[in-house]
Amino acid sequence: MITVTKAPPYLTVQDGGRRHSRSAGVPRGGAMDGFALRAANALVGNEDNAAALEWALGGGRLRLERDCAFCYTGGAAEARIAGNKIAPCTTTIARAGDEIVVEQITGGRFIYFAFSGGVDVPLLMGSRSTYLAGRFGGLEGRTARTGDEIRLLGAPPRTPAPGFHCAAELMPRYDSGIVHVVPGPQRHLFDDKAWRTLTSTLYRVSPSSDRTGYRLEGPTLGGAPASLASEAGCAGALQVPGDGLPIALMADAPTVGGYAKIAVVSEADLPILAQRRPGESVRFELITLEQSQRALKRRDSDLQTISQLAYRSAD
Amino acid sequence: MNTSSLSAQPLGDSAVTISFGEVRSPQLLERVHAAARAVAAANLEFVDDVVPAYLALTVFYDPRRSTYEEVVTRALDACGRADEARGRETARRHVIPVTYDGIDLESVAASTGLSIEAIVARHSEREYTVDILGFVPGFAYLSELDTSLHLPRRAQPRPRVPAGSVAIAASQTAVYPLETPGGWHVIGTTTLAMFDPARTPPALLAPGDSVRFEPAS
Repeated sequence: MITVTKAPPYLTVQDGGRRHSRSAGVPRGGAMDGFALRAANALVGNEDNAAALEWALGGGRLRLERDCAFCYTGGAAEARIAGNKIAPCTTTIARAGDEIVVEQITGGRFIYFAFSGGVDVPLLMGSRSTYLAGRFGGLEGRTARTGDEIRLLGAPPRTPAPGFHCAAELMPRYDSGIVHVVPGPQRHLFDDKAWRTLTSTLYRVSPSSDRTGYRLEGPTLGGAPASLASEAGCAGALQVPGDGLPIALMADAPTVGGYAKIAVVSEADLPILAQRRPGESVRFELITLEQSQRALKRRDSDLQTISQLAYRSAD
Repeated sequence: MNTSSLSAQPLGDSAVTISFGEVRSPQLLERVHAAARAVAAANLEFVDDVVPAYLALTVFYDPRRSTYEEVVTRALDACGRADEARGRETARRHVIPVTYDGIDLESVAASTGLSIEAIVARHSEREYTVDILGFVPGFAYLSELDTSLHLPRRAQPRPRVPAGSVAIAASQTAVYPLETPGGWHVIGTTTLAMFDPARTPPALLAPGDSVRFEPAS
């Protein structure tokens, strides 16, 4: 079990999200940075999409009530356990009673703490993810509070060796700010100028951004009809409302919407976009669907490499 | 169903949107619903989700387990086997008991020129179809409201509309499954749970279902 001894401004339980939930009006949800979640799980010997803690916006403290392996991935943080600095993307051993202290998140937006066994909260619609807007999943559908006790499932049979570290070249290039996109379903509603603008200028992530979507600031794309008949959207869809400024739909975006979608972020690069903070910029680069799916497979194979190396280190 | 008029295009690298036409109509929506049921019934192992909407059906898939081309072919095959008439038979029918005590009942009466009794009668006398689900979990957009009740959304959305509120806006009516901000006119309340993530299925209403409201005595 883990006790939240000082809740950070934002802490939720997230896993790989939901399937077959959208027809009930429930988005896929799950970790904003799915790659970091899966890497964190590999580093503690868990299955890919086991539930972990998604942490953002500032410091906080957790006390571990049992011995376990843990790690953090995603953004960079100033973090200690029992007084020692915690290295990112590194399998670390905690003893019962140790306290994890995160002073602050120093780079990126979300960090993920995975614990051997994974977080144990009730499965709802096939997932342990917190859906804040729907007020269910995770810890009663809300962010963690000081005093919360979070249960862990039994440890996996093998955990990677303490100190096992995941090489940076196997992780997405978070710092590049380069986000690949494929043309969206309403691509034809935008003229050449809009396309040139989208793919040649920097867009800044607006302070008005959360798990449902990131508003982007930059030159207007104009030209699109204000609204169409509602249809399904997805995480990464760049929708363009009447003001011409794109909004990137994120993990908890409503399942359907009525704005034109000029492009969709390649799933492989969704973690890069998710990790951008308000004020940081992104550059969109156009690729084909085939390239996008190949990139996703490369990410999978990088994760497999991490997982195999971690598993081997257990010997 | 004849699928020659359908066109498919990718929605990112894990979904395909199949368009059924350009103009909204109950008939077109019925075709989309029938196709959605057929794709779901085909139980394709690579399909993660099927989302019907007014003019299109979106099929979410796992690109690790299939290709875009295969998904399009198999989804269109399933659409080809869809049968609107049978779809209507398999759709569920619901009766939702309503206490017509909504906070906006007086203002709806003032705007429409109808008496409260007439509003209740016109809202509860017809059968509605679930167009789509969205906005929040279990929120079903129901059509089509009697034209005498058509009103634009409230100019100022309320920060909180309680769960169970029965409301109207434009040509549609709906029940708020949970407390959310909302701009529809609230005319009544139901105690039926519209959404429960621990239930199977979690949403009481599904696309294509029919719904009648019954004044609670």
